[in-house]
Amino acid sequence: MAKEIIDGQTMTRALTRITYEIIERNKGIDDLVLVGIKTRGVFVAHRIESRLKQLENISIPVAELDITPYRDDHEATDLTTVKAEPLDIDINNKHVILTDDVLYTGRTIRAAMDALMSVGRPKKISLAVLVDRGHRELPIRADFVGKNIPTSQKEKIKVSMKEIDGEDKIEIE
Amino acid sequence: MKRYLILEDGTVFPGEGFGSSIITTGQLVISNNRTGIEQSVTDPDTEGQILAFTIPSVGNSGINRDFYESINSQCKGVVIGSSSLSTVDGSVSFENWITGLKIPGIKNVDVRALAKHIAEHGEMKASIMDTHDEHAMDQIKALVLPPDLVKRVSTRQSYPNPNMGLKIVIVDLGLKYSILRQLSYRDCNSIIVNYNSTAEEIESLHPDGIIYSNGPGNPEDLPRTIKTIQVLQKNYPILGIGLGNLLIALANDCQIIRLKEPHHESSLAVKEVASGKIDFVNHNHSYTLDEKYIGGSDFIVTNVCVADGTIEGIRHEYLPIMCVLFEPEAAPGPTDGYYVFDEFIDLVESVKKQEGARNQWN
Repeated sequence: MAKEIIDGQTMTRALTRITYEIIERNKGIDDLVLVGIKTRGVFVAHRIESRLKQLENISIPVAELDITPYRDDHEATDLTTVKAEPLDIDINNKHVILTDDVLYTGRTIRAAMDALMSVGRPKKISLAVLVDRGHRELPIRADFVGKNIPTSQKEKIKVSMKEIDGEDKIEIE
Repeated sequence: MKRYLILEDGTVFPGEGFGSSIITTGQLVISNNRTGIEQSVTDPDTEGQILAFTIPSVGNSGINRDFYESINSQCKGVVIGSSSLSTVDGSVSFENWITGLKIPGIKNVDVRALAKHIAEHGEMKASIMDTHDEHAMDQIKALVLPPDLVKRVSTRQSYPNPNMGLKIVIVDLGLKYSILRQLSYRDCNSIIVNYNSTAEEIESLHPDGIIYSNGPGNPEDLPRTIKTIQVLQKNYPILGIGLGNLLIALANDCQIIRLKEPHHESSLAVKEVASGKIDFVNHNHSYTLDEKYIGGSDFIVTNVCVADGTIEGIRHEYLPIMCVLFEPEAAPGPTDGYYVFDEFIDLVESVKKQEGARNQWN
């Protein structure tokens, strides 16, 4: 049975805090670029972008990243043959903040980094996630975490966001 | 007994006395609180103030004796239209409660005319007296309000509010107990210290975070506290509430201004700039931050008042400093602002984590 562990208000607060931390650790957000991993990572990126805009009055670019071709659980994974879908923004020499809803094994993020590298050479890549649930299988960690939720591998974390699911909440089952 | 409320500009409002029969003088403050009168009257912020409540009838929902924000301090007088005899547990009515606190009060005053007068002419000194002859007028005109309000309400000796969580040092500038209640709820191991404690004294307590509390009076009267903030802010996460916020701003070369229409209301809307979220929170301040200086400083504005655009919260861009000018602990008023304490705990924990990581590598 699904149990709601984070409500909309707490999620909003977590996103706001991530935004403050991004400002705090970057001393100027001029060369920042947000790249959201499809699907919910994109909404996370847009929400952070709108907060930065409200606070600092600077609009920073947001891009969507589809990592499906780079996943390592597909059969045809000869990465040299994968054709990268071009991002609609320039990431060369930018500080890219990757955003996703849940950080779990780290494989999605690895794939995302491959995808990024194939389209440009960012100055730096950081990672912002709404939930870190542990159980990494790769040496990857998030720079900005909304909420650490310790889980067992049997459990499932389900993030719902207003833009696509109608309401903001995080459930565990 | 007939008594008079006399204002600095010579205006006289006749009324009937209740509570203590002493003559009292102080800064007249118009409060638009409808409930939580108990908390307003016992709030150390009101040290040296005569509170005038604009609600036509005070105490309609009774007096809850569990609602208090301090045990030692209280306002210097209350001005009301009328009061109700109703009680919560059959124990005490508003007037009897005021009598018990030995506060002088005056009722049957046209509080709306009074509020209008103050809105037009600004906040001023006032006195509750038995006469309104020339001598009384001279007295009120000659009255100099004491500049040491914080000294009167701040704890003289440090004391703990023990728990098992984060260690928070609270610099008491006129601390409301509800701040401690909120910290206790979050398991914080707090130590409350005098407003004049030096940076070394506070550092020796090895805090995880520091809170500069709310308090009465003009922040410019506290140069020593400002100097201490300048030292401490480099090394510790800091939360400033009310007067604490103003001091932190002054410590960082920002300026403050007196509000034309001071905020004394238990439920005023505040917008969180980042998310656009609206919170209804308790306000009790006559000063605010000067926008011109915030723009040029390292602070970003995090909260603004919806009604008049006043800055209600700021945050440092790269140091772990957050401030709110409203009162997140409520008491009185709605509890929307509690999240500020969660945010501060998050801030303290993230600083701790970063420090831990740094120690590991160095």
